Amino acid sequence: MKDTLNTETVRQMLNRSSAKLDYPAQEKLRGAREKALMRYDARAAAPAFAWAGALGWADHGAHRSHYFWASVVLLAALLFSGASYWQQMNEHDSSDEVDIAILTDELPIDVYVD
Amino acid sequence: MWTNGVFRRLLPFIAAALLSLPVVAVAQTWAELTPMQQEALAPLAKEWNALPEKRQQHYLKVANHYPKLTPVQKQRLHERLEHWVKLTPEQRKRAREKYQAFSKVPPEKREQVKKMVREQQALKAASSVPPTLAK
Repeated sequence: MKDTLNTETVRQMLNRSSAKLDYPAQEKLRGAREKALMRYDARAAAPAFAWAGALGWADHGAHRSHYFWASVVLLAALLFSGASYWQQMNEHDSSDEVDIAILTDELPIDVYVD
Repeated sequence: MWTNGVFRRLLPFIAAALLSLPVVAVAQTWAELTPMQQEALAPLAKEWNALPEKRQQHYLKVANHYPKLTPVQKQRLHERLEHWVKLTPEQRKRAREKYQAFSKVPPEKREQVKKMVREQQALKAASSVPPTLAK
């Protein structure tokens, strides 16, 4: 069997009964199929991200999953920091109101301070 | 794979939002405050630059209420601010809790307490007047 694989040889191999193929040939087939699927995936996704390439996120098919997880981590970080920031803001807001009330109320602050 | 596409589209905005968050809270020196803020926080002028950023932000928010106060309230604020800022965070926390609890008390009862405190203060003031002024 030839070592080189192209679409023609793949087609020919597929046309034969898979039972007749030896193990290395099956492995080559599997590898070729995975490669083709990966390339197809990258090409299908490319147009949507085309503009992002200008910002340094070039579309390297193999790194796509890394970008995905980086995005997930970044989004989680944003949600977390946003939530804690919002909480902090709210906490401050309510204590501002109370502070201004204590500091301007008719009763002296000694009443409230231990 | 649209979710991936959405993430990538959002990435620059997410990064920009994350980076802009710390800009919202930046320390300000006393000289950088507006005349209104300086007037409101006048008793803190000396220690202002040494205050932690977070507390500066807090007092700036308090200062925002200043223009809406009556002259009597402004005077009270100035008298109390210096004492207030020197309390420990726990003391301030306790005081806020007490104030909030007190504001939930029925108005008639609250008036009673206020009257009692006023009487106590009058007594205290009368007894602590220095002899030279007590003629």
